[in-house]
Amino acid sequence: MTLQEFKELCAQIEREYTGKIASASALEAVEELRVAALGRKGALTELLKNLKDFSIEDKKAAGPLGNALKAALTRVLEEKTTALAAQELNEQLNRVDLDLTLPARPVPCGKRHPLSIAQKRMTDILSKLGFTWAEGPWVEDEKHNFDMLNIPKHHPARDAQDTFFAQTGSPLSMVLRTHTSNVQSRFMEKHQPPLRIMAPGRVFRNDSLDATHSPVFHQIEGLYVDKNVSMADLKRDLSAFMKGLLGDKTEIRFRPSFFPFTEPSAEVDVKCVFCAGKGCHICKGSGWIEMLGSGVVHPNVLKNCGIDPEKYSGYAFGMGVERLAMMMMNINDIRAFYENDLRLLNQF
Amino acid sequence: MKILYSWLKDFIDLDDTPEELAQKLTSLGIEVASIEKKGADFEGVNVAQITHIEDHPNSDHLHLVDLDLGGGKTQRVVCGAPNVAVGQKVPLARVGARLGKTVLGPAKIRGVVSEGMICSSDELGLTSTRARGILVLDENIPLGTDVRTLYGKSDALFDLEITSNRPDLMSHLGVARELSALLNKPVKWPSPKEYAGEGESLKVDIRAPQGCQRYTGRIIRGVKNAPSPELIQERLSAMGLNPKNALVDVTNYVMFELGQPLHAFDRNEIDGDTIVVRWAEKGEKFTLLDGRELTLDENTLMIGDDKKATALAGVMGGLNSGIKDDTTDIFIESAYFDAPTTNKTSKTYAVSSDSSQRFERGTDIGMTELALKRATELFVAACGGTPSKIRDVYPQPYENPVVRFTPAQINGILGADIPEDKLKDIFSRLALKFDASGSEWTFQAPTHRRDLNHRWDLAEEAARFAGFDCIPVGESRAFVQFNDNPKGVDLLELFSEKLAGLGFYECKNIDFLGEKELKDFGFDPKNAVKIKNAMAKGWDYMRPTLLPALLKNIAFNQSRGNRDLALFEATRTFTLIKGFPAETYTVSGTLCGRLTHRPFFKANGEKPDFYFLKGVMQNLLEGFEGVSFAPSASAPVYMHPKMCMDVLVNGKKAGVFGAVHPLALKSCDVKENEVWAFELALKPLEKGFSAQQFKPAAAVTAFPPSLRDLSVMLDKTVPYAAVADVLKNTPLPVGLHFDLIDLYEGDRLPQGKKSVTFTLAFSAPDRTLKDAETDAAFNALLENLKAKTGAELR
Repeated sequence: MTLQEFKELCAQIEREYTGKIASASALEAVEELRVAALGRKGALTELLKNLKDFSIEDKKAAGPLGNALKAALTRVLEEKTTALAAQELNEQLNRVDLDLTLPARPVPCGKRHPLSIAQKRMTDILSKLGFTWAEGPWVEDEKHNFDMLNIPKHHPARDAQDTFFAQTGSPLSMVLRTHTSNVQSRFMEKHQPPLRIMAPGRVFRNDSLDATHSPVFHQIEGLYVDKNVSMADLKRDLSAFMKGLLGDKTEIRFRPSFFPFTEPSAEVDVKCVFCAGKGCHICKGSGWIEMLGSGVVHPNVLKNCGIDPEKYSGYAFGMGVERLAMMMMNINDIRAFYENDLRLLNQF
Repeated sequence: MKILYSWLKDFIDLDDTPEELAQKLTSLGIEVASIEKKGADFEGVNVAQITHIEDHPNSDHLHLVDLDLGGGKTQRVVCGAPNVAVGQKVPLARVGARLGKTVLGPAKIRGVVSEGMICSSDELGLTSTRARGILVLDENIPLGTDVRTLYGKSDALFDLEITSNRPDLMSHLGVARELSALLNKPVKWPSPKEYAGEGESLKVDIRAPQGCQRYTGRIIRGVKNAPSPELIQERLSAMGLNPKNALVDVTNYVMFELGQPLHAFDRNEIDGDTIVVRWAEKGEKFTLLDGRELTLDENTLMIGDDKKATALAGVMGGLNSGIKDDTTDIFIESAYFDAPTTNKTSKTYAVSSDSSQRFERGTDIGMTELALKRATELFVAACGGTPSKIRDVYPQPYENPVVRFTPAQINGILGADIPEDKLKDIFSRLALKFDASGSEWTFQAPTHRRDLNHRWDLAEEAARFAGFDCIPVGESRAFVQFNDNPKGVDLLELFSEKLAGLGFYECKNIDFLGEKELKDFGFDPKNAVKIKNAMAKGWDYMRPTLLPALLKNIAFNQSRGNRDLALFEATRTFTLIKGFPAETYTVSGTLCGRLTHRPFFKANGEKPDFYFLKGVMQNLLEGFEGVSFAPSASAPVYMHPKMCMDVLVNGKKAGVFGAVHPLALKSCDVKENEVWAFELALKPLEKGFSAQQFKPAAAVTAFPPSLRDLSVMLDKTVPYAAVADVLKNTPLPVGLHFDLIDLYEGDRLPQGKKSVTFTLAFSAPDRTLKDAETDAAFNALLENLKAKTGAELR
């Protein structure tokens, strides 16, 4: 065999097997071609046997040609194998026939109560505004629930609270707290300003149980006492609070009101979030929704708690959780919160 | 408080629409609950004169009435009114006229067609109570006049919510006075006719000066009771009162007008000639006007005479001295009674009246005389009679305190910048005396404003009259101070979030329980906080346990078709400790039905069992130091005696979990007989818990464990915990983790035996263990098990 014939045979083998490999359609066929081309009895092995008769110079020229041919075929074989393997995997995956639209397998997961969700929204925002969580008793003495808060005995303001009285062995007259404001007197008698607290929790009123009244409901109280705290500070903080709660565009307004423990007192309305203040059935056409009561802490309250009203001043506000939750969660009967029907609880 | 717009206009000139006025009132902090439009809600009613009356042919009480409509027109109608008479000018509504929502058509009345009707005041919607006959108009009104023009000024009734600090707004004059300050318009003060007075009034002996600081009164002799004038009747009707007769109506009228409650006694039922104001004697009996008999205490202020009591001062008169139809001499009381005293009386005897509601908030001590004069004028006009002299006993004229302040202090409270001139203007309108000549200003409120006692009150007045919008949004100020939440709060939140993650739904229940439930759940009512004035039976106590409510939540949900329930509540429970109320943060849960509720996934529709609940508890208490579970030696009565474990924190009981006792289920109307529950007090967990605490991690070995299975046979009576304790506590030179993989009791074992199989995973932090090391550890465990539990290798 001449070198020239060797070269031609190399080219011929490469053409022949490259073509066959390209047209192979199964991994088994590719393997057979690999054996036929590169195996111990394969075409390349047979061809290289001829080298032994070549001159040294021809060997030097033919050797690399054989190696190149082997490399080329190996590469083509690998590419084909990879392609066919991918194709086969793909076919295998595509044979899966699952009805993905069947219902989800239920992974147990419970829910928080809507009132907890609403309260958490509020405490989270107030916490960002620097309010510390404070607690107070629910079975409270009249001194902390009323007297210290400037709600004197034998005053209609005290009657208006529809108080539940508790029978205990305490020498003090005990009530179920009628508002979260008892935390004001509790906290201030123990701490001097500056102080900034929030007090969420249950309160009790001996009222009827109907669509809008419950003897048990939730409030959240805010209190800030420091030097030179004014109504303007209250407006700033409540504005931030309401924006946090109801959105960036929320506007608030103050209306004069009366609470025994604040002076001046203000009722706070927010521009109706449902009609942007145009007037709708939720805001009863007024464009505003009553949200909470607030004001400057009455100097008598500070005095009663041992804080000098000539040195410090403060503001306080209190807000109903149910009211907000009913409005924002479209629940029109307060009793629904205390029935705990799973189909309601499940929605939040 | 109801305010009639037209009545208000008696005291101040206003031309606002009712809606505009409502807005002004709102801006002053007077909430307008509703506006009811009043007045001439009719059309096509004209003045006609009755020219002829004849009997209806088919009726003995109906008449046929001919009317002159003016302009030569006449009309015949059927009329049944008893007061119809020739010559009267009356409102005639003809066919096509509208009365409220009704359009008049021709009516055939006992066979005679009537092409119209003569109207009464209630048919015209002018009064709400039924009138006795047709409305007779002034004879000088021209024929044909549209009756609307007579009542034409449409009226409005405002329902105002007056806060308890502003009793001075509980009258028409009071509201006018407030608007006068806002609008800077004068108040048109009433100037009732002055009577010189003939004869003396009763003497007044105030023996309880603390209860009564002023007492003004006079007698009117020779009155003859009569219906009130139409205007008074109309206005009282609008206020929601049934007009009765002048002697009764006038006192109410003056109260609504001027805010001063009055009381009229029958002079001839008063013994002697002295009114005595005194404290009641303990045990004294008194019968109220409405017939209720009271037994009085010594804190009750009474009006009386030489011999007896005649009124519960400021609250209600007595049956013995009230005005009757044939009363001829009346004594009118116009007094100032102490607010707390009146409140106490009203509450003690559960008697409330328009009068007591004003006195207990604080009336205007300066108003008694004017009110008495106004009442005199109205009484005499309606009933005739001769007024006596006025006797006014007012030993210590009342003055409000003088408030000293600077304008800067006012603006400081508000955070506002109201100009000094504006402040001066506002305060001068409100003050009795106001002096702004120095750097410190002084202000003294008139007697009707006892609520203006210090500069904070004046700051509110400044803001109200300047408009609350004068308060700006303050500049930012920082408050930097870290205070952790109370631990109980963080624990409640932690457990709530974990439970929700574990598939439980949070419930909220009303905190009240009945005595029966307390007993059913093994609580002694003596150790529970009782509510003295409970709203309903079964709501008498503050709950010492959350479980009854949660079980009722199950019953309720079952009744609504929700059967698969995992519920929890996290809140406070209440008990008495040595008589003092104690509040405990508590978390409880209940579990029944199936864990999941999609029947399609049959494998997952399993029911929870004790060990599932135990897993929940383990999950909940993961990470808390010193927590262990132990079978309850004596389970609470509401729990299954054999399926209940205690949760111990450092050996002390903090809660239980297990199956609920069938009787407890029955007590709460739960139909299901397999319900799981837990209740956990959080206080014992607080120690050693901190939300801020970071937990240090234990090292994790990089080398795989060597696994061995261990299967032993032992007596059935040996609890699993005894075996596990040996595995846990045998000292080994290598690390051990074990999992129970099988538990077998049955035929293939000798009687009384069970087999327990574990997978043991041995490991070391720094190497893969050699077989010899693993074998040695395995054997050490086995030997120890044999020794401690009598186990044999299977």
